[in-house]
Amino acid sequence: MRALCWNGINDLRVETVGDPGIVNPHDVVLKVTMSTTCGSDLHFIDGYIPTMRAGDVIGHEFMGEVVDVGRDVKKVKKGDRVVVPSFICCGSCWYCQHDLYSLCDNTNPKAELQEPVFGYPTAGIYGYTHAFGGYAGAHAQYVRVPHADTDCFQVPEGLRDEQVIFLSDAVPTGYMGADFCNIHPGDTVAVWGCGGVGLMAQKSAFLLGAQRVIGIDRFPERLKMAREQVGAETLNYEEVDSVLEVLKELTGGRGPDACIDAVGMEAHGTGVEYAYDRAKQALHLHSDRGDALRQAILACRKGGTLSILGVYGVMDKFPIGVILNKGLTVRTAQQHGQKYLPRLLEHVTKGELDPSFLATHRLPLEDAPRGYELFKKKQDGCVRAVFLPN
Amino acid sequence: MADKPLESSTPSSRSARGAQPPSGGSAEWEWHDIETTERHASAEVRRTYDLDDGRRMKQLASAMLGGALLSLGLKSRSLGGLAVALAGGGLIYQGALGRTLARRVPGIEGFRSLRTLGRRRSVEAGAGTGRAVLERSITIQKPGHELYRAWRVAENLSKVMGHFAEVTTVGPDLQHWKVRGPLGRSFEWDSHIVEEHPGEFLRWESMPGAELPNEGQVRFRPAPADWGTVVTLRLRFSPPGGALGDAAMKLLGQVPTALAHTALRRFKSLVETGEIATTRPNPAAREGGYSY
Repeated sequence: MRALCWNGINDLRVETVGDPGIVNPHDVVLKVTMSTTCGSDLHFIDGYIPTMRAGDVIGHEFMGEVVDVGRDVKKVKKGDRVVVPSFICCGSCWYCQHDLYSLCDNTNPKAELQEPVFGYPTAGIYGYTHAFGGYAGAHAQYVRVPHADTDCFQVPEGLRDEQVIFLSDAVPTGYMGADFCNIHPGDTVAVWGCGGVGLMAQKSAFLLGAQRVIGIDRFPERLKMAREQVGAETLNYEEVDSVLEVLKELTGGRGPDACIDAVGMEAHGTGVEYAYDRAKQALHLHSDRGDALRQAILACRKGGTLSILGVYGVMDKFPIGVILNKGLTVRTAQQHGQKYLPRLLEHVTKGELDPSFLATHRLPLEDAPRGYELFKKKQDGCVRAVFLPN
Repeated sequence: MADKPLESSTPSSRSARGAQPPSGGSAEWEWHDIETTERHASAEVRRTYDLDDGRRMKQLASAMLGGALLSLGLKSRSLGGLAVALAGGGLIYQGALGRTLARRVPGIEGFRSLRTLGRRRSVEAGAGTGRAVLERSITIQKPGHELYRAWRVAENLSKVMGHFAEVTTVGPDLQHWKVRGPLGRSFEWDSHIVEEHPGEFLRWESMPGAELPNEGQVRFRPAPADWGTVVTLRLRFSPPGGALGDAAMKLLGQVPTALAHTALRRFKSLVETGEIATTRPNPAAREGGYSY
């Protein structure tokens, strides 16, 4: 089959690789109908996350049609049209049973690579480094999905692929970030980042009852989406002297009740701290640029909630003292998608949520390297490129 | 999973060599009790140890893991990579110093003496030979009696150990082990169950005359709240003395560590999910279209 492979830093190529098959009894094989780029892919494409191997098939946000079914799969049937969260979860361990799916104990076959860094291994991810299991990714014609009964979600009739594809990762990640904020009527939620996850966090904050949502970014087309598609107020951090001061003024001097970081380790910013972070990162002295996160910590009201969705490595200069003195509640996780998928599919079916506007670029799989280029450099107003592998 | 009906919960001990177990269970059996464990370990610590063989093995294991991480980290040319490389370097450093991961394992719940145990090297009176002890615990979301039964199913043990050993059942309580060591070397031995307390404890030993004498035991204790069961696997390898023993441990490489760490994790996956996570084979643009 054809698949998008990582061959080194900033070296993506579509190549011919072996077809996946049923390996374990709870596996299914999907014919991928649509897959999409994710900002977290950029971290290993740019070389900030280790344990990739040349030739790895990448991609973790996808949907497709079931074409082969393992002998112990009970619910999922051949021909089913399904969407699959990016974390592989067994459904049986203590973590899965407590809705903490991305912490699954049983799906990382290379746990020994991750354990020295995290202390305890997390769940595996499709196409996302060997520390996260080394599973082949989904920017491919076919993909093997383990634990299908836990991880495959039937797509209701009448929905287009574009409406559903982002339920694989961007929507549940954003929704979880808003859920972490324990939103009360009258609350204001500020969201750093107006990419796929940030926009979905903003939309979810409204769905969960926020009165006001403020989206922060620097790309006019993304800020426009936040205003027009989500109904958020927006703030271009390049156009103001101090994000903190503006947020203060917008909230009567109190600050947002909750702040969501939907940016991650390759944050852009302005000013001295950004220059410091960028220089250190360029020299590979640390893996994270933490501008957005530091700003969110500072801007959050006293006793508020800081919800971190951006993917970070091991950051230094982390202002824990500010969090302490302000009594912030910090909530963070990789997406527990399996917890949220049923209610998200319901929102989409009822027309309360339509993430399809994120799909700014539709490309055949053969053009995937160009899709990542458009996505990474935010060219041509690209928010998400979606690929059609078949 | 059901191999045979759950036996009486009354502890029953046996030995294929006909030795009678001490009344009320062996000393090893008693260390399921925390206080007993503490006393047991402290008593051992007060003895004089011959550290050589066990220490070398752990140094080697540390250095090998360290080397793997270091090369992995350096290959990636990044800071995350640097972190991994540093971690790897640290392990090599530890390996060089003779410190080991096992010694640094923090106290595991209800087992305050683990750090002491990590240092334990028991000495057979008059034998003058070091023994390597490895111990590792994992918490599994199943009741102890179910796990015990699963452990006793030969087919399961073969699957769990399958990444480095072939385990076949050759008699009611007799297993044949073939372990693949580094450098194409393999070790074989027969082991037999010498003590069992259904649902709670199992101990086995290699038969007399084994090239690499060893023994193992597995304990199943209830975990707090709804966590299930804590499973503790303990292995001792007692290489024959002198240069031969030293060479044997070097040849065995990471096997004891893999057995203790990876085997427990694989056992957990098998009993919790009915399968063991794997990426073999996995589509990739290398090695003929698949990677393993």
